Amino acid sequence: MKRFLSKALLAVGLCLPLPVSAEVAVPAGPAIGTVSREQGLEAWERMFAVVSHPRCANCHVGPSDRPMWSGESYGRTRPHGMNIRAGDSRIGAETLPCATCHLGENSNVPHSPPAVPDDWRLAPVEAHWFGQSAQTICNQLRDPELNGDRDYTEIAEHLGHDVILHWAWEPGGNREPAPGTLAAHIEDILHWGAAGMPCPE
Amino acid sequence: MKLTVNGAEHSVDVEPEMPLLWVLRDELGITGPKYGCGIAQCGACTVHIDGMAVRSCSVEVGAVDGEVTTIEGLGTPESLHAVQAAWIEHQVAQCGYCQSGQIMAAASFLEMNSEPTDEDIDAAMSANLCRCGTYPRIRAAVKTAAAKLNGA
Repeated sequence: MKRFLSKALLAVGLCLPLPVSAEVAVPAGPAIGTVSREQGLEAWERMFAVVSHPRCANCHVGPSDRPMWSGESYGRTRPHGMNIRAGDSRIGAETLPCATCHLGENSNVPHSPPAVPDDWRLAPVEAHWFGQSAQTICNQLRDPELNGDRDYTEIAEHLGHDVILHWAWEPGGNREPAPGTLAAHIEDILHWGAAGMPCPE
Repeated sequence: MKLTVNGAEHSVDVEPEMPLLWVLRDELGITGPKYGCGIAQCGACTVHIDGMAVRSCSVEVGAVDGEVTTIEGLGTPESLHAVQAAWIEHQVAQCGYCQSGQIMAAASFLEMNSEPTDEDIDAAMSANLCRCGTYPRIRAAVKTAAAKLNGA
């Protein structure tokens, strides 16, 4: 297992140029308590529009290991074609690594596989967003047991340096980007956090 | 730029955006990898980079940072790779167009998973299309090759 995992990881390190910005500086954000609950909930609504968007949710499939094809550029909602299984590794290491096709440069060629200079992969099982309600995802994001043991500033930092997340706003081809901008999303996370991470009732 | 293919170093004068498949076929005359769909949806162009299967139609040559192996470098007529031997044993190929991609995909898969179940084989090989429908023989040959690689 280790051997093929490292091989798969080696292969995804093949890419050289960085089409998607590698690092985004995360601003300090407002101090805790300086943002009202109402403003925090408004920020959450914008965050939910991002996390529930197909560019994000298609790979946040929870206990399933099948990425989804959904959204405007895909027509009907269905699992990724070609019987793709990401496995327990979430990078397809058990059968067909995601990097077999999602490798190197992002592509603008219609229907060709997108890529980022990082492992193309599914999100962790506990980060289940596809088809989930705003309340469920919000509670998940503020629970350290489910969010990778992060406080809100660490969630913002995660957005700042994880290039597969940046791809959502620069997906290329005819793929619809996630709403807003990466910088605005980070700003919303910081405001939501400073408001005490409020969730809809 | 320099490119190592099947153990030999080549120098090619191409744009870094050129797909690896174009370089292999048109610049180096290595025609085992086939052009099928051009968008990584059929698998006919599958080659290895440092042992891992990739769709050479969708990898820019400038992004290749490893040794490329094509079907021509997998085994030799005197010393076939276990997957090639199993392919002959099961007489898998019909028209043959997709078969170098199938074999390269299977060889890479068995490096990663040496005791695959039928479900594993289906998951690993479903992205390699065969219009002749040789799938039952592909699955049987992959199982035979796995057993051979495991010393059975």
